[in-house]
Amino acid sequence: MILSLFTLIIVSPNLIISAMIDTSKSCVSLCIDLLAIYAVWLAILEIVDKCGLGEKLASLLYKPIKKIFKLTDKNQIKYVAMNLSCNLLGLGNASTPSGIEAIRLMDKDLPKTRFAMLMLLVINAMGLQLFPTTIIGLRANLQSSNPSDIILPTFLSTIIPTIICVLFMHFVYKIKEKKK
Amino acid sequence: MSVYIIPILILILIIYATIKKVNVYNCFTCGAKKSFDLVLSIFPYIASIMICVMLFRLSGLATFLVKILSPLFNFLGIPTEVCELVLLRPFTGSGSLSLLSDIIKTYGVDSYISRCACSIMGSSETIFYVSSVYFANSKIKNITPAILVALFGNLFSAILSCLFCKII
Repeated sequence: MILSLFTLIIVSPNLIISAMIDTSKSCVSLCIDLLAIYAVWLAILEIVDKCGLGEKLASLLYKPIKKIFKLTDKNQIKYVAMNLSCNLLGLGNASTPSGIEAIRLMDKDLPKTRFAMLMLLVINAMGLQLFPTTIIGLRANLQSSNPSDIILPTFLSTIIPTIICVLFMHFVYKIKEKKK
Repeated sequence: MSVYIIPILILILIIYATIKKVNVYNCFTCGAKKSFDLVLSIFPYIASIMICVMLFRLSGLATFLVKILSPLFNFLGIPTEVCELVLLRPFTGSGSLSLLSDIIKTYGVDSYISRCACSIMGSSETIFYVSSVYFANSKIKNITPAILVALFGNLFSAILSCLFCKII
């Protein structure tokens, strides 16, 4: 940030403040968009939760999540499970609220859950999903002859790095445990 | 086809909720109400991260970085045309999406370059945005190791995307 400010002061000092305010403005409109999107998805998630479907999902995914995230608390696992399933379905905007809720719950159990929180961030930041709907839509709009032929390469090139990153995180975790 | 999956899932959910005698309307309003707190709590973090990213791009450091890194990326099998996308992707979702449609328009939708770009776009995520939003209210402030792992993972998935697009 300092470096870019420094360069900007040399190159075009008159742009800085107006550009910062412009970005801030677009951020406000982004937040209003998010407000609308989250309102719908949080409402749907609330119904999922009240139906007890969250618990069902959690018990279904209990073992793999316990293994990957080293979590034991049922409530935390529930939100992690919802976050992961939304991600897989390609609902990036729906996964954010449950992810934040999971982080908030895990935050209370620090430092025990530190590993799980970082793991959740890594998995979310890998963009894991089954169908890249946005991109297929974009390709279809631009008259591709076969918009969905990128599904396989995309899926492969997201699942392999995700697995490697998860393994790497576990590897580092084990080394740290040994040091203690 | 994929257009129908989510609406049908939602419909099934609401029918299921009604059978289970859950008050759907109350739940819906409760959930919608939470959205305000959520957006308010993440707004400062999104704003600051977006301003940082904008300064970085406006100052020309981003293009400079592309120039420096493109030989390295070429060596790893990533074509020069999509280098900028690989570098921009972790910072901004909307920015990289508009860059992607530019690439598609320039090189044609079914060309190797465009398919590469699409695959890169689909297999990565806006890391800095996600991390700033998720850890907005957390006590953990040092998340650099996780970000580094994620950045490495995204670079790796970009390399794989280019490889798979060639083969498949």
